[in-house]
Amino acid sequence: MDETDKSSRRDWLATVAMGVGLGLSYGVFALEGLLFLLPRQIKARTRNLFAGKISQIRVGGVRPFFDLEGNEILLRRKTEREFQAFNSTCPHLGCKIHWEEEEQRYFCPCHRGVFDVDGKAVSGPPADGNQNLTPVPLQIDEAAGVIYIEVKAASRRRT
Amino acid sequence: MAELQEKQSSQAGLLHRVSQLFPFDWELVRQASAEPVPYHIKKWWFCLGGTVLYLFVIQVVTGIALTFYYIPSPDQAYQSIAEITQDVRFGWYIRSLHKWASNCMIVAMFLHLLRVYFTGGYRHPRQLNWCIGFLLLGVTLTFGFTGYSLVYEQLSFWGATVGTNLAEAVPLIGPSLAYFLRGGPEVSENTLTRFYVLHIGLLPTLAFVLIFLHVLLIRLHGVTELKFEGEEVPEEARHFRFWPDHATTELLIGVLLMYLLTIMALVFPAGLGEPANPIQTPEHIKPEWYFYFNFRLLQLTSLRVSVVFTMALGAICFLWPFVEEWLTRKFKVSDRVWVMVGVLAFLGFLVLTVWESFV
Repeated sequence: MDETDKSSRRDWLATVAMGVGLGLSYGVFALEGLLFLLPRQIKARTRNLFAGKISQIRVGGVRPFFDLEGNEILLRRKTEREFQAFNSTCPHLGCKIHWEEEEQRYFCPCHRGVFDVDGKAVSGPPADGNQNLTPVPLQIDEAAGVIYIEVKAASRRRT
Repeated sequence: MAELQEKQSSQAGLLHRVSQLFPFDWELVRQASAEPVPYHIKKWWFCLGGTVLYLFVIQVVTGIALTFYYIPSPDQAYQSIAEITQDVRFGWYIRSLHKWASNCMIVAMFLHLLRVYFTGGYRHPRQLNWCIGFLLLGVTLTFGFTGYSLVYEQLSFWGATVGTNLAEAVPLIGPSLAYFLRGGPEVSENTLTRFYVLHIGLLPTLAFVLIFLHVLLIRLHGVTELKFEGEEVPEEARHFRFWPDHATTELLIGVLLMYLLTIMALVFPAGLGEPANPIQTPEHIKPEWYFYFNFRLLQLTSLRVSVVFTMALGAICFLWPFVEEWLTRKFKVSDRVWVMVGVLAFLGFLVLTVWESFV
């Protein structure tokens, strides 16, 4: 191997080393910038809203109440310790459903939609479209004997 | 052999078609980047202008990133900055980079100005480029003032109040200028949106145009080859290539600058003071350090005198190449005097700045 070969290889190595170094350095800065622009996936914040006392509902009974945005929520005591809650807006076309005690079902008068105790559409247009009632998450504080529903917390920006 | 020729001709065909769609003479780019660079540019104090440009690019990139989260309204500005600093991934980093790059940009600009002054780089035929450079200094200081006000913490809010009230003391146009800047009789939500538009729209556009003219004039005049006493440079080493030699050096300086800014961001991250309270002025208010000399001046004399004095000084500095020529012709002074004037002016600036920072 003669001298020019050696020196051209050295030049080539120097160019590669410089290229990789510069590429990595600027690459790290670019990555940080990219991560900055991608918003972090943050779990939506919720808070508990007082819905009623456990003692106010008998087993099998349904109690309607309104959340802060004016949505009507139907709260049902399924068993001694189990509770269910559904938004009372029919998923079909937005009429108000109600609980029918004798039939043990939720009923929408607009198009005769029927939902079973678990909110599943069983007959009428909602059943055809497989549109079930929207469940509302609950928090039960048995020690205090209180039921809460989980609602979205106000946006963090407006603090 | 025939295959190779075919391949080459098809490549040429593609190039030909691209050049038809985009009829640009790439030879111009080759020529522009092949410009030989004089040896003395390897000395760091001749790279200060390029450093300012590099920092400006950092400001543009981090600034655009920050606008993704910043909300220019009085009740959300502070909160959105708190969110950038605390919640957003690398938010503290991007914000600190923006802050420190702005400070470094002003330092580099002052040093560049000193270099140009003491090497006589503003003299005939380059007077106009001094004026453009001085306008860029003004634009950069306005960037600093409006940007700092956007944070909407106590100090920056009252800084904006004092700053716009200063504008009111400008003779003749003062009151209408202040009213226009604030978008009303006092600092309000209008002021914030005006400063925001200035900071991210008007000033950047102005800066781009001025930088383009500044660099264009440098290239049109060319760079004078300097010789230093007692320095022997062999003939073949008197120049080096812009591409790739100088470009690589610039990229390396850029990486070093980023490391420096990163260290600054880690050791002194951009903080956040009390949120703006338009009802209560804090006990001690101070502008950013680059306005210290003016702030000190403001306390030494009356408002009107200090504003008029600053304006006159600014005008003289802006037109300095022409002022100097005129004075030289009229009073037949030697270069030594102008070096002394430069030293005294810089010392005056330094004394006022240091004085203010210790009060």
